[in-house]
Amino acid sequence: MNPCVKEKFMKPQRLLRGLATAIGLAGALLASTPSQAVPSFARQTGQECAACHIGAYGPQLTPYGVKFKIGGYTDSDGKEGKVPLSGMAVASFTHTGKKQDEEPGPNTKKNNNFAVDEISAFLAGKLADKVGAFVQVTYDGVSGDTALDQMDLRLAHATNLQGKDLVVGLSLNNNPGVQDPFNTMPVWGYPYAGSPLGFGGPETGSLINGGLEQRVLGLSGYAFYDNSLYAEIGTYRSLSTWSQWKMGLGKGDDPGKLGAGSAYWRLAWFQDMKTSAYSVGLFGLNSSIQPDRTSGTPSNHYNDVGIDAQYQFLGTREHVFTVQGSYLHESQRRNALIAAAEASNKHGHLNELKLNTSYNFRQTWGASAGFFKTTGDSDATLYSSNTRTRPNTEGGVFQLDWTPFGKEDSWGSPWANLRLGAQYTAFSKYNGSSHNYDGAGRKASDNDTLFLFAWTSF
Amino acid sequence: MSAVRRAGLPLLAAWLVIAGTSLVPALCQAAGDAKAGSDVFAGQCAECHSLKEGKNKKGPSMFAIVGRKAASIADFKYSDAMKASGFQWTAAQIDAYITLPKKAVPGGTMKFDGLPDAKERADLIEYLTTIK
Repeated sequence: MNPCVKEKFMKPQRLLRGLATAIGLAGALLASTPSQAVPSFARQTGQECAACHIGAYGPQLTPYGVKFKIGGYTDSDGKEGKVPLSGMAVASFTHTGKKQDEEPGPNTKKNNNFAVDEISAFLAGKLADKVGAFVQVTYDGVSGDTALDQMDLRLAHATNLQGKDLVVGLSLNNNPGVQDPFNTMPVWGYPYAGSPLGFGGPETGSLINGGLEQRVLGLSGYAFYDNSLYAEIGTYRSLSTWSQWKMGLGKGDDPGKLGAGSAYWRLAWFQDMKTSAYSVGLFGLNSSIQPDRTSGTPSNHYNDVGIDAQYQFLGTREHVFTVQGSYLHESQRRNALIAAAEASNKHGHLNELKLNTSYNFRQTWGASAGFFKTTGDSDATLYSSNTRTRPNTEGGVFQLDWTPFGKEDSWGSPWANLRLGAQYTAFSKYNGSSHNYDGAGRKASDNDTLFLFAWTSF
Repeated sequence: MSAVRRAGLPLLAAWLVIAGTSLVPALCQAAGDAKAGSDVFAGQCAECHSLKEGKNKKGPSMFAIVGRKAASIADFKYSDAMKASGFQWTAAQIDAYITLPKKAVPGGTMKFDGLPDAKERADLIEYLTTIK
């Protein structure tokens, strides 16, 4: 990552709902909020945000940014006295195709809401020669809560093997995938900002797609060989409800206790040709969750396996094109849900497909478009609120943005950073249907969301 | 043959050798195109190097690099290997270095695998000669 590492930060999801969440029902209503931009990385390296980020902002990493993150956020210009602290704030306006059935948050209306989405502080940068951090604490402007958000502490060592560069490292983090250096897994995937008061995508998500974020602690080891082959394996443990509470996370959204041996893994092939780059990879998370935390009670089991790829045309950085895609399959064994009479079928699955592309002119003007599709099998109890008892949702996300700063000659660099954006999410299907998906006559397109945002970091 | 003429031949030969040696790198380098070199710089170098005088990024400023002594910017932290290189950044020396930096300066810290295309190197060097 880079100078201004901006990573996407899905906030603690306000959508998680008890057991349903444990099974991967992460509400879309409460989709991700804008991601972080971390100018302290830019100050540390002496480089502009554009060196590490496509469009000079936001979490999408250039090849240089990929290597900065793998290197443990420790690369620098060699000068001492850099303070690894940054701040960020996001404000927005949200309009949905039709007003929502209920207010989407405290002190909000059923439609047309202005909000200070979040204000964050970061410890981000080099802490010691081989130790770096990316830790975010966020004030949620909608709920009014302050909590530990994304965390990725790294130890990285650069060496060589058979004459080739080798980086080996450890990541201590609180969200499976937050440590990934590519932008094709859910945590850092497109869109990089989302309305906390509208509809940003499917309501149902896989476990690796936000089901555990901030509620777990994981340790993974990784290796990056010859600037090409990336491999990582790790494990996660759930935080106690007391620990979650101390970190500002509500006890009510506790997903439960992770089973021993929860495994996260990642394999990717990456090529940086300087004026273009690509990566292809596989990733997975295999875990179980015991919602009731009491010994002897049943658990739900999840096995997520995904494939992803991306291509970036960088050229002289005047015209930058990117294409990304991922497909994830989740197998579920719903023992706890069955025992709680919250599901009818013991076995189920989810599939998540995401494709998106972007164009950026002079690292300032951006246009992007994405397609998402989530499908799953029918379950009359688990999806009882959906007319067709399926989670199936599909649509597109379109965004135009302007990022005036973040380049070498920018005013106030590297302290002043701003992105103004207009994002529109359109649904052709929501929770199984195009029309009357909830039995009360609501159409998928009623959830179409216009999200205007101002996102700044310093 | 006069003594003068006999003495002149070796001198002429020596001059030709010296002149020839100094010309070899230039002859080996294709004539560069500064405009194309600007694009090479933008695509290959600009993330880490600025063209502004006094503006150092991860790498030192490339302002007036051609002819400069290696490791000579006072407020930039060079590797020990670069400090010990004794390089003078002539066009030929830059060409050799950016072809394969890790071979040219073992132990150097520049994270660049090299620019294998001779035409791109020549274009880049031609462009850098204009930055002063």
